[in-house]
Amino acid sequence: MSEATHSAQSRRVREATWREAMLANGSVVSIALFFLVVCIIFSVATNAFLTSPNLLNILRQSAPLLIVAAAMTFVITTGGIDLSVGSVLALVATLSATLLQFGLPWPAVILAMLALGALLGAVQGYFVAYEGIPAFIVTLAGLSVIRGVALLITGGYSIPVEPGSSFTIIGRAWFLGVPVPALIALAILAIAYLAFNETPFGRYVTGIGANAEAVRRAGVNTRLMTLFVYVISATAAALAGIIIAARLGSGSSNAGQGFELEVIAAVVLGGTSLFGGRGTIIGTVLGALTVAVIGNGLILAHLSPFLTPIVTGTIILIAIWLNFRLFRGAVRSR
Amino acid sequence: MSSGETYRVRMSGISKRYNAIQTLDDVSLTLKPGEVLGLVGDNGAGKSTLSKVLSGAVIPDAGTIEIDGMPVTFNSPADSRAARVEMVYQDLSLCDTIDVAGNLFLGREPRRHVAGISFLDKKRMHEQTRQMLDRLGIVIADTRLKVENLSGGQRQSIAIGRAASFEPSVLIMDEPTAALAVAEVEAVLDLIRTVSARGVSVILITHRLQDLFLVCDRIQVMYEGRNVAERLIGETNIEDVVNLIVGRKFNARSAASRYRDGAPI
Repeated sequence: MSEATHSAQSRRVREATWREAMLANGSVVSIALFFLVVCIIFSVATNAFLTSPNLLNILRQSAPLLIVAAAMTFVITTGGIDLSVGSVLALVATLSATLLQFGLPWPAVILAMLALGALLGAVQGYFVAYEGIPAFIVTLAGLSVIRGVALLITGGYSIPVEPGSSFTIIGRAWFLGVPVPALIALAILAIAYLAFNETPFGRYVTGIGANAEAVRRAGVNTRLMTLFVYVISATAAALAGIIIAARLGSGSSNAGQGFELEVIAAVVLGGTSLFGGRGTIIGTVLGALTVAVIGNGLILAHLSPFLTPIVTGTIILIAIWLNFRLFRGAVRSR
Repeated sequence: MSSGETYRVRMSGISKRYNAIQTLDDVSLTLKPGEVLGLVGDNGAGKSTLSKVLSGAVIPDAGTIEIDGMPVTFNSPADSRAARVEMVYQDLSLCDTIDVAGNLFLGREPRRHVAGISFLDKKRMHEQTRQMLDRLGIVIADTRLKVENLSGGQRQSIAIGRAASFEPSVLIMDEPTAALAVAEVEAVLDLIRTVSARGVSVILITHRLQDLFLVCDRIQVMYEGRNVAERLIGETNIEDVVNLIVGRKFNARSAASRYRDGAPI
């Protein structure tokens, strides 16, 4: 090997490093730009958008979305999907209202509901990880069954939570000038970011999405890891259900209709690949906030709220299309 | 290390039958410390199965395996790894979207503990990766590069480097130079020499006969599940090996002209 070959090789490699660095953040950069553009448009178009009460309100309302989207990022990065989060949210919202009516103390209700979420996730995760049934099918079944149970319990009615109950603090109170749901979301996002980027678990989640067999051969219990991501997503959905029941002061079995699609949209918009192996929590946060801001801004601009899904859907398609064009040129196809 | 008289690996009487097919029939294999053995044979000759027996992925019907003179039984890849036998699979077992350091340390990442939670010690991981790559002479500019952005030869080098980092006493490589560019083949062969110079015994399975003559000390030829010949590299040539592989007097002229003059036909 001559000197010339070596230097030529390292030059090529260095070029790749630069390109790779740009692309690794490319999806995050593009969603950040979309987020900025959407914010600027609404700031100019409406007077109310760029005020601190409104911004805090957006955070308060988008807390459930942020929490579940962060958890969903883990699931999608393993190459899976969880369609049942909206149903888990509804079941937990109705059950927590029901249990409070039975006079159970609110901390016990919260713990029971989180445990229920973990259990539902473990059951679905078992079928995905140990029985090898595609996640789409398992969680589609979960979506149907779990909402069915919520409807059966309530008979379709919504169950009120006593307004004086301390339970409502979780959804309504403010702490240090910030809504409590936003603080909970912030804590969850920080944990999710650390777990995803700085722990062996996060590393294995990415590895399972990229090459599960390689991770298994490296001695990692990939089945348990896969099961665990569904436990995370369902527990996060349960937490979101608690927050929503506390904020609205009632548990409705119709809560969270289409919530799973909103969550998946936020994650994919953030640049996490549906094929697995590539995920970003920062991107997910930006994706979720973009979805939330669009909904809020359209209402403030006195436009029909029915425009929200149309605009959101269009932005998803454009953002993914841009990413896809960018990625296709750069990542070696193998 | 023990004297040259003890074998690092001694497999004898290994047999394996898959239904009607006797894949391995009373096969033996010996390997000395630091030796590079080329295992060749036509497709289906049983060389992959034999290597899988040694790596614990296939359990033989009969036969014994000794490592450093001690009889062992491998019932799973974990058993053979415990006996310090590592295998580099043909599909490399790399995670494309994880960086070089992450792949080298997959499953045994350096950790640091903060408040009882274990975090990745990325700094230490990248430092150790750099040392490891330098030691093996693997040229990679940045250990933060994702594996998907590496060339085929670099990926192969990472896979071998990963296996070598377990400090194995035996390293089995299945077709490490298949589908590589010329310069990359050189780099991988260099790497094999470096690894064996560190005292690791290497079994090299390959169809590229010219590679055998560059790195191997000895060649073992298999034919339809049996070993048919063993040759020290100094006592044979490509024509001889080709004839042994196909099991009859092949058109040795074409093999000779093909490899000796350099220009392929």
